Amino acid sequence: MEWLESFWATYSTLVLSVGTNVLLALSIYLTLACGLLTVANAAFMGIGAYTAGLLTVHAHMPFFFALLCGSLLPASIALLIGRPTLQLSGVYLAMATLAFGEVVRILILNAEDTTGGALGLNGIPQLTGWFEVALAVFLALYVLLALARSRIGRTMKAICQDETATELMGLNVRAYKLFVFVLGGALAGLAGALNAHFTFFISPNEYGFERAVEILAMGVLGGTGSPWGAVIGGVLITLLPELLRGLGHYRPLINGVVLILIILYSPRGIWDLLRPARSVRGPAAN
Amino acid sequence: MLAQQFVNAISLGGVYALFALGFTLVFGVLNVVNLAHGAVFTLGAYAALQTALYFHAPLPAAILVAAVCSAGAGWILDKLVFAPLRARQAPHLAPMVATIGVAIVLTSVVEGFFGAENLRFPTGILPTDTLSLAGLHFTWLELQIVSLAFLLMAVLLWGLKKTRAGRALRGVAESPKAAALLGVNVEALLRVTSIIASLLGGVAGVLIALYTNAVFPHMGQPMLHKGIAVVILGGMGDIRGALLGGFFLGFAEVFSVAYIGSTMRDAVAFGLLFIVLLLRPEGLFGQAAQRRA
Amino acid sequence: MLCSIKLISAMKIRLAIIALALIAQVVSAAVMAAEIKIGVAEALTGNASQYGRPIRQGIELAAGEINAAGGVPGTKLTLLFEDEQGRKEEAINVFKKLIFQDRVLMLFGPTLSNSAQASDPVAQAAKVVVFGTSNTADGITSIGDYVFRNSVTEADILPVTLKVAAQKTGFKKVAVLYGNDDIFTKSGYDNFARALQALKIPVTTTETFAKGDVDFKPQLTKIKASHPDAIVLSALIAEGAPIMVQARQLGINLPFIGGNGMNSPRVFELAKDSSDHLWVGSPWSVENPAAENQRFIAAYQKAYGTLPDQFAAQAYDAMYIVNQALRKMKLTGKLAADRKALRDALPSVQWTGATGPFKFRQVAGRDGKPAGYDAVQTAIVMMTKNNKYVIQK
Repeated sequence: MEWLESFWATYSTLVLSVGTNVLLALSIYLTLACGLLTVANAAFMGIGAYTAGLLTVHAHMPFFFALLCGSLLPASIALLIGRPTLQLSGVYLAMATLAFGEVVRILILNAEDTTGGALGLNGIPQLTGWFEVALAVFLALYVLLALARSRIGRTMKAICQDETATELMGLNVRAYKLFVFVLGGALAGLAGALNAHFTFFISPNEYGFERAVEILAMGVLGGTGSPWGAVIGGVLITLLPELLRGLGHYRPLINGVVLILIILYSPRGIWDLLRPARSVRGPAAN
Repeated sequence: MLAQQFVNAISLGGVYALFALGFTLVFGVLNVVNLAHGAVFTLGAYAALQTALYFHAPLPAAILVAAVCSAGAGWILDKLVFAPLRARQAPHLAPMVATIGVAIVLTSVVEGFFGAENLRFPTGILPTDTLSLAGLHFTWLELQIVSLAFLLMAVLLWGLKKTRAGRALRGVAESPKAAALLGVNVEALLRVTSIIASLLGGVAGVLIALYTNAVFPHMGQPMLHKGIAVVILGGMGDIRGALLGGFFLGFAEVFSVAYIGSTMRDAVAFGLLFIVLLLRPEGLFGQAAQRRA
Repeated sequence: MLCSIKLISAMKIRLAIIALALIAQVVSAAVMAAEIKIGVAEALTGNASQYGRPIRQGIELAAGEINAAGGVPGTKLTLLFEDEQGRKEEAINVFKKLIFQDRVLMLFGPTLSNSAQASDPVAQAAKVVVFGTSNTADGITSIGDYVFRNSVTEADILPVTLKVAAQKTGFKKVAVLYGNDDIFTKSGYDNFARALQALKIPVTTTETFAKGDVDFKPQLTKIKASHPDAIVLSALIAEGAPIMVQARQLGINLPFIGGNGMNSPRVFELAKDSSDHLWVGSPWSVENPAAENQRFIAAYQKAYGTLPDQFAAQAYDAMYIVNQALRKMKLTGKLAADRKALRDALPSVQWTGATGPFKFRQVAGRDGKPAGYDAVQTAIVMMTKNNKYVIQK
């Protein structure tokens, strides 16, 4: 037990980060699985973090309430911008969501009186524990796996394969896309809210381009075939820098090299390597 | 003040356009969002800087070295990253993530060798006189950057229209399979495109480093953000669009600082981008193609 | 007869050898120094490493000198370096590793104020002294009574700089330009704004820029059009130098009044031919002729081949300040007690180092109760001229 205590004292932040990164990877998996390249999740994370943080610091709201708001607000914003934005596809969708993310970041930066601007939000109580994170990850995985198996999941796969055909069959493609986008936003917001409450301090620059690219890398590296791919991606991206710590000066270099090697060797993500080989690429997820 | 801001906008626009030219080429022909373009840009700047510092070389020689180095980087990028991914029929996001890795590697190599501090070119390498015309101030270098952006665009457009290689390239951009059937060496052309695009990026790096007096490992990052915006505004893969998009962004930024407020400078750029994408995704100047969902 | 003599001799020899060995052990135990482990968490890679590396070098230099001079009797300083990359998550991870795994007595760092906001609470909760040498933003020492810093905050320096500059140049109104997306430059701006208001100096216009921006002409053109007598600039050298160059290119020949970030000899390289008339205040100046400072500059140059900057100087002094506290306390070998003893010994330390006479001042926490310790030092106001910082009296 003493070993566990000392391990937790040193590595608790790392473990919790793995949890929130897995949540982020899951949030992007939904839309990626369908070829919807949305990169707005960093912004949703930021909105969730600031909402929850402001609620606990200034309004002294209970934690679960803050987490709830931290998921609902980004989800509502996703609902708002989703409709016009999801008409785009491919790189255009990516760029639109990226632009949206930058605008959000700058708005948070300039709303000094509420958010503290560049000075950030300080003194966020340490309310996130392993229980909250584990619960969140478990619920998210459960919901996503269940979805994948359900009719919604099959419809999503159909949309992936051939959108026009699916539309012709009378299914409201737009509604499904919006659904996954909003769900992704809620998950990312939750991740942000949890993250804010074990790092004491948040600032607008953490939710910009670099974070968006990191989340994307997690999704693609892990593989978009299944939510488990997202889990792998989240774990890998979080732990890789830690595992490479001994390399000191060469750490970022090796980090980049590993990223390249993984993509070259397994362009569909690591999940693709691990799943049992299939001869026909069928629509069913499992 | 208005007139000076006008001049500022043109020179800023030239800077953005120069960066975007190479970036849009890779997207248009190779269909890859090359997130390593910023790193190649940085590489070019450092290559020129080191040449100027250690060999006391004059500027044209330094630019040549930068061009060679970044062209080399483009060659390596295609050979080691893009080509293998093409061969494996990788999903179209995979090369983009790979370029993220490449950018990390290049940036950390540069930082490891040269440190994270800002460096600058030795003075005297370029005449720094400010020209003063009717109360307006601008430098020699700004003029050169703007002219070079136009010149390069003209050369590229001519190359694509009039030369056989250029026409083949456009064919490949349209449909690699059809081009292959017609006997075009697709792989070779794609490699050449990557080389040319990186060369453009590297040269842009040198000029912009001279313009801003700052060479540092992460200099490519903010340029990449703006470059993406420029390329979208102008139309992805559209050479003229890169130029027009660059100037459009330059004007939008400068005048938003002048008349709205400098805190919103970036918000304006990206806000515009967002709106343009929603209303006219092919870009302000691009051809209406099947880009909508 | 011969046999027994040989036997006795052999035994005596054996006994003598054993006795000698025992004595040697006892002696060497006394001679073997107790190790004082000090953690140094700075940005050694990444953008912030341009500040993190001089800090590391300053601490290393000081620790080397202290150890060479015998240090705290019977002990040896051992520095454990960790790279926090200028990222707050990394800073937290590294702090935890140093505190719980490496079991250091105290730690220096982190490099950036942003990281400090996230990682200092970890040290405070674990009751380990964390000593910042480069954190100047608000809200850091108010975290708790285990948080110390010797980096003088802008709130103390800027009013002095402004007053001296106003006196010497006679400016009546100023324009303000600052980086609004970085905690250092933003908090610098807040302090400038407060000081300008207190001194009743009108502001003609306030403009902002973002970190990584390379083009400042639109803002500078607007500033020029508002006809100020001087420009107040809260920026780091990376943006500050191009700003000065571009201002001169636009025909703006006004004096600049800079914050802490502009106090770096690199401004002469980066803003060559445009670096004159920059006013800066800081407790440290490379031109300060005081003996301790000149000794430090010479030693630093010898060890690292370049002139030190403010970051190195403050880190160097910080190590000596901690050393003073170590001399005052007794190491018991029990970590928790030693860590507390160090915290209790620090606040009363007074030291004159490269940055001049220094002492601590306690500040209030967010809840109003006494918390951490800020630096009390006098500022030297300088103006750049001909590639040198000239001290203004």
